[in-house]
Amino acid sequence: MSKILRVNMTDLTARFEDVPEKYRLTGGRGLTSSITCDEVPPTCHPLGPNNKITFAVGIVAGTSAPTSGRISIGGKSPLTGTIKETNSGGMAGQKLARLGLKAIIVEGQPKEKGKLWLLKVDKAGAQLQPADGFTSKGLYETYPMLFKKFSDKVAIIGIGTSGERLMSMAGICVNDPENRPSRYAGRGGMGAVMGSKGLKAIILDDAGGPGVPIANKEAFDAGRKKLVAALREHDITKPGGALNTTGTATLINVIDEAGALPTRNFSDGRFEGANKISGETLKETCEKRGGVGMVGHSCSPGCIIKCSNVYPRPDGTEHVSVQEYESIWALGANCGIDSLDATGELIRLCNDYGVDTIEAGVTIGVAMEAGLAKFGDSQKAIELMHEIGQGTPLGHILGSGAAATASTFGVVRCPTVKGQAMPAYEPRPIKGIGIIYATSTMGADHTAGYTIAPEILDIGGSVDKLVAEKSALARHFLHATAYLFDSTGHCLFISFAVLDNPSGLEGVVEECNGVLGTSWTVDDVLRMGGDIVKKERAFNKAAGFTSVDDRLPEFMKYEKLPPHNVAFDVPDTELDKTHDS
Amino acid sequence: MIEVRLYGKLRRFTDNQDPARDSIIYIPAETGDTIEDIIRRIGIPPEEVGSTIFLNGRYVVLNRKVKDGDRLAIFPDNMAMVIV
Repeated sequence: MSKILRVNMTDLTARFEDVPEKYRLTGGRGLTSSITCDEVPPTCHPLGPNNKITFAVGIVAGTSAPTSGRISIGGKSPLTGTIKETNSGGMAGQKLARLGLKAIIVEGQPKEKGKLWLLKVDKAGAQLQPADGFTSKGLYETYPMLFKKFSDKVAIIGIGTSGERLMSMAGICVNDPENRPSRYAGRGGMGAVMGSKGLKAIILDDAGGPGVPIANKEAFDAGRKKLVAALREHDITKPGGALNTTGTATLINVIDEAGALPTRNFSDGRFEGANKISGETLKETCEKRGGVGMVGHSCSPGCIIKCSNVYPRPDGTEHVSVQEYESIWALGANCGIDSLDATGELIRLCNDYGVDTIEAGVTIGVAMEAGLAKFGDSQKAIELMHEIGQGTPLGHILGSGAAATASTFGVVRCPTVKGQAMPAYEPRPIKGIGIIYATSTMGADHTAGYTIAPEILDIGGSVDKLVAEKSALARHFLHATAYLFDSTGHCLFISFAVLDNPSGLEGVVEECNGVLGTSWTVDDVLRMGGDIVKKERAFNKAAGFTSVDDRLPEFMKYEKLPPHNVAFDVPDTELDKTHDS
Repeated sequence: MIEVRLYGKLRRFTDNQDPARDSIIYIPAETGDTIEDIIRRIGIPPEEVGSTIFLNGRYVVLNRKVKDGDRLAIFPDNMAMVIV
């Protein structure tokens, strides 16, 4: 029987609770958002004693379901002020599930300001111990020290100095299979919430843990087989397919050709240096430099897509893992930087200081627009990252994210929604993703509904009678994502195979039925996804958000983006229909 | 002329195979030419062409007509990232 671990940082206690019936059939985002809605006052300060941070496993996490090692982390976000769920690959999701835990809820706040703690969870129980000696350092120094103390078989969920300093761009780090501090639940500043709880790291040792019970093995196996087949057949996800060979960065050239690669702080849709930071160049560099460089790396055991990589320095030694599309774009094209060695160094610094690469890259782009550095000046960008790492006054401004930086320096072109930086798809030519950015419950977020494939047909087109179809499509994706991927523990990248292949979609639902003993249909799952989104919107409404917040930044309505020379012209009335159903 | 930008293994049909630089070939366009005609004229085996093709930044299918001054981008079958 799975349990929930509740950790109170005010009195430094940890106790195991039975899972209430209402949470029994959910997981991941479904669980973090339910707990946040049930236990967190929507108007609380995100960094105050009344916010809570929940770490939850997906429904199939810890089983043999393919590509399913995600962990969801939720609460109220200091970056957006909305409800937040952010998820990560790496080693933690599966180990937490195999410890027999559905979630860890961390609440309260230590009486001693600035004091940080470690939470160790193993089959014998949970203990808090002082994090003395493990703080105020980069994560490339801290993680090896933690593995040395606790064993190299544990999983670590931790924050860097940015989280300790309560910066709104702080993410939460999870180690990869080789124990690098490299996988992130990056978005929304949840690292600052963890820091505000005085929690430096959670150490999960699943040795001897009870594992994940499967109620109907036959249904689970049948579903698993369908999903594996769908992933192995699909051109994007199959072995030797694009994700596996040139990684997510394959998209750099594709989206650049589409004229939708945000460049130099969202002032152009094409980047003349795209080839230099592409997936192809990344792969060739790994091969030419040799040494430890590799593509086709897994971020968690049991992934059959393997889209990660290890990027080498010129001498073949390790520089960083992972250079993926969003990070390369944010710290590359968006800053006018056309070198993978430079993006590699900037990503390494993000990993070391514990910040979200998307928020960091968009913030540096805004800072460049403000004149703090010239576009393309990678050396200066690295210096700005060090300001964040060192916690200087300028570093604190930048560390508060793109919106705060734009506000501080009077930059009008501020590409955020609800205070969260936009990812690597320009919403002016790809309007459907703009609807997702505007209406997601969590600020600008491509993972809230990855509509790129169906939208690509209409790229650069003007909005016409199809706009109602677009908001309906956006709604479908928002709902499907909330459950199929974010609540099951599967990676978003199964979506390519699942949404193109009805058998793959059934497979995911049958896996869930197998674990839970339910008999859900695909329609049931989509409905439950809709229920999660409704719940999250109710939280945001109670926190003070209205339809006026479901908008893209104003400049996108009047600045036309080359090369398609289009503005974002989806009417506000249509945006408001996205959640009508 | 049509500016054809080739990616991945299709770069071998241009004089640049370094992925860090543009691989462009200029092909004269005749009235009524489709993308398929251009691909044939370059000599690219049809099975190596994926579904990710952009004409002037718009996702298109092979029977789309092209004209002088167009920018055509063709990704190979093993670089599919957008499948409609």
